[in-house]
Amino acid sequence: MSTGGNEERKNPPPETKHSLWLRRAVIASFWAVVAFLGLPVWWKTTAIYRADLPLQDMTAWANGQVCKPIFPIHIAVQAPLLPHDAHHLIHATQQTLNDLSDFPAHQLRLVFAEPPQPANASQQVVADGSGTAELDDTVALAVRLIPVETGATPRSQLQPFLATLDIYYSPSQIPSESSTNSPLATYIAQELHQLYAQERVRLSGLYSNAASQSESLSPELAVQLQRDSARAFKYAPTYHLTFSLFTPTSTPSAWDIEAALRQYMNPILESFSGISNFTIDTQVQLYANFSPSIRQPEYDNDAKAWTIFKEDVGGFINAAEWPLSPSIGRGPTINFALYVPDEAQSPLFVQGSRDNSWLVPQWGGLMILNPQSYQATLTKEALVPAMQVFSTQLSSLLGLPQTPASLPLRISTLIRIHATSLLFSASSTLGALAQVYQKMPTIPVPDPVAKSVDLSLAHLHRACELLRDGRFQDALENARTADGEAEKAFFERSMVGQVYFPDEHKVAVYLPLLGPVAVPLVMAALKEIKSGIAAVKGR
Amino acid sequence: MAPDSTHKAALFAALFAAAAALRLLLFQAFPLLPHRLAGRVELSTPVSSFKRLQEGLYLYTHNVDPYHGGVYHQAPLLLPLFSFLPDASSSPFATNLLFTVVDLLSAHALAQIADSGHAAATRLFKSSRQGLRWSSAAIVAGFLFNPFTLATCMARSTTTLTNLFILTAMAKACQGASTTFLLALSAASYLAMHPILLFPPLLVLLYDARADRSKTTPNALAFTAVHTLGLTVISGTLLLASALLTDSWDFLGATYGVRLLLPDLTPNVGLWWYFFTEMFDSFRDFFLGVFWLHVASYTPGLTIRLRTQPLFVATTLTGIFAIFTPYPSVADAALYLSLVPLFRHLFPLMRYTFLASAAVLYASFLGPAFYHLWVYAGSGNANFFYAITLVWSLGLSIIVGDSLFAALRDELDVQRPELRDKEVKRI
Repeated sequence: MSTGGNEERKNPPPETKHSLWLRRAVIASFWAVVAFLGLPVWWKTTAIYRADLPLQDMTAWANGQVCKPIFPIHIAVQAPLLPHDAHHLIHATQQTLNDLSDFPAHQLRLVFAEPPQPANASQQVVADGSGTAELDDTVALAVRLIPVETGATPRSQLQPFLATLDIYYSPSQIPSESSTNSPLATYIAQELHQLYAQERVRLSGLYSNAASQSESLSPELAVQLQRDSARAFKYAPTYHLTFSLFTPTSTPSAWDIEAALRQYMNPILESFSGISNFTIDTQVQLYANFSPSIRQPEYDNDAKAWTIFKEDVGGFINAAEWPLSPSIGRGPTINFALYVPDEAQSPLFVQGSRDNSWLVPQWGGLMILNPQSYQATLTKEALVPAMQVFSTQLSSLLGLPQTPASLPLRISTLIRIHATSLLFSASSTLGALAQVYQKMPTIPVPDPVAKSVDLSLAHLHRACELLRDGRFQDALENARTADGEAEKAFFERSMVGQVYFPDEHKVAVYLPLLGPVAVPLVMAALKEIKSGIAAVKGR
Repeated sequence: MAPDSTHKAALFAALFAAAAALRLLLFQAFPLLPHRLAGRVELSTPVSSFKRLQEGLYLYTHNVDPYHGGVYHQAPLLLPLFSFLPDASSSPFATNLLFTVVDLLSAHALAQIADSGHAAATRLFKSSRQGLRWSSAAIVAGFLFNPFTLATCMARSTTTLTNLFILTAMAKACQGASTTFLLALSAASYLAMHPILLFPPLLVLLYDARADRSKTTPNALAFTAVHTLGLTVISGTLLLASALLTDSWDFLGATYGVRLLLPDLTPNVGLWWYFFTEMFDSFRDFFLGVFWLHVASYTPGLTIRLRTQPLFVATTLTGIFAIFTPYPSVADAALYLSLVPLFRHLFPLMRYTFLASAAVLYASFLGPAFYHLWVYAGSGNANFFYAITLVWSLGLSIIVGDSLFAALRDELDVQRPELRDKEVKRI
């Protein structure tokens, strides 16, 4: 205290020792609250919680160091031969196949399967494939060797709705024990190689994208692949299909769509059920006019039909007035629109062709239907051409490859492609998350993110193993979960909140409230310290 | 003395009878009034609302966890108490009677505090103006016929129970009755949590009262240890009983967790709700901590500074609770405003009485109007009501600050009698 001695000035009397200590105790008590409770609270509540992520694993997956997917495709060979001969044939064919292979991850593996029953050729041809059903579910294709006496041999036939390739040969073509090279083995190998040509290209395309390697591709094939992938929807676990009937007049006012869908659409949807789920709705829109920007149909005397101009096809859908909402429910919507023209303008075609259906990439399909007779209700039979067109369009919108001819084979190809691309996409999402984690030390990472990452990694491992075992369906399911979890982790909402919160803003948060509180506390403490020092010096 | 005490007893009997009659008459004459008042945000907060208590009671009597709905945030032991009464919506008389009795018991405790004389003269401090005081009857009348108290009672807010236990704890501390003091304070803390902060000043008060009575000073450390242990044991027993009643410890999160973390931002007369509606999410926890520490930090400072006037410290703390706790209501202010008249001797030293009373009156009249404009008429917004709660808090803070100043000035007068009635400047 600076009260010592100066009697002239009217200084207040010195404080008593008691009140001095009392004041110090009060100030100390406030500071004790700040220091022992306030600071820990500040530390605890403003610390950014960052759950531990397995960064190394995530980066390793993104760099493709953990899993190099391989595609062992098991092909069962059924031959009415002695086991010894059959094994010899398979061995020779396998060797030829290995020599042909230009993509080592894609491995065709032949296994010998006992033929279901010894029977003669004619019965075998008409067999309903019950033999293949008994095989192990990892078998992707069955090759049936069928001895025939007549016709050119060897020749092959692919069952369109079964994963079965029939090879007709004459018994004399069975390679003998001594020969290392046989025309039949070479033929089978080449057939198989050809069968999987497109799949190999697409898979290696995914590979080269993922590992950014350059590989030589024939230009026309590359263009076709690009076109196919531009058309197809991005993979989703659920798609929503909308079937719409548009007509510029009041007829037809109803359609027998439910029965038509059941009969013509359900089979194809069922075959896709291993890949995605589908939900369906339908609608009818009467008095649906063209948008004013396109020209009205004109009558073409040569073709004896009404035509719309080719340039107008792009604007055919009147997006402003036709109720084709972009997305209903979960997953992307695939639209199928059936346009029945005015009776007075029927038949209606696109100019210069008799083709009256077209596909809008990543949106859906359209068809102009010119019915035989105008009735209030479009019958199931009248809808048959539309259903055929729509199912073809659906296949290409879902990215189903064009070849080979057998549907089960194409679907299993699609499964492998999706499994692989999901695997790569999940890996790269995880890698991106790892990068974000490392590059932005200020974003919080809550526990659910770490949980999703762990789940995603576990499913990735499982998917990779299943691919190696040739269980592609299960692999797809695991890859799907892995991808979903990875996306969930990456797009966690609470992570983005603080990304754009610079440190300067914290001043604005803290100062208005804590500043006024802190000033008297700090000033009081400083004053006490000063007077304390002065008292020590004065002594 | 005898005629005087019978006279006083008759006066109190008349006061209590009048207060009870007034309450019961209002309950009977306006059967819809309690319902209307219970819906007012000024009177019913999420942690004290009678409607929420009824919801909890319904769930409890139907064997559902009362905290499942996320509506009920009050103490579990209230449930068996109220489940003994007949249903309040069909036959409200018993409930109304209960709340009336609670108010009368509070008034009785207040009378005991006033009679003890601890407000102006304690063991270590005698105010130079200790002759200047109101009679306990006047103070009790000021409590019983205070419109805020009356409205709280009519709204049947459970804060009245908390207030009863706080007043009882103060009364028992003034009388030096350890066990009842501990029981009452534990009950108050159990119901509302923040009254635990009254423990230090009231412990000092109890110590002084005990020393006064026995003319010896007990060992301060042992005294503190014993009473802290007693408080812990009784509070622990209450919590354990609650856990046994609800079969789980989940009630802690639903009652005290709600008070600590403020998940329900229903407007009230306090300062927290608006602040936290505007808060950045990432700083919410931090500022919850800051606000709570702000409330808590007054207890040690005031107890140390005004160690000689513990009853005044406790009173000031109830005022601070009425301003700075997360879910304050008019009921908390009613408690504080009923305790302030005990310190009649400080009134001549207070400088802003007009400003404070004007602010409180202004807020009491305009608050409901602005709330109506915001919520019902839609011609105002949240800022209208918040501005009024700021004025309300300002009024209460002026009373708190002014009375603190007066208490310090009073202390100075005792220390340096020559300065009495002179202008002083704080240095």
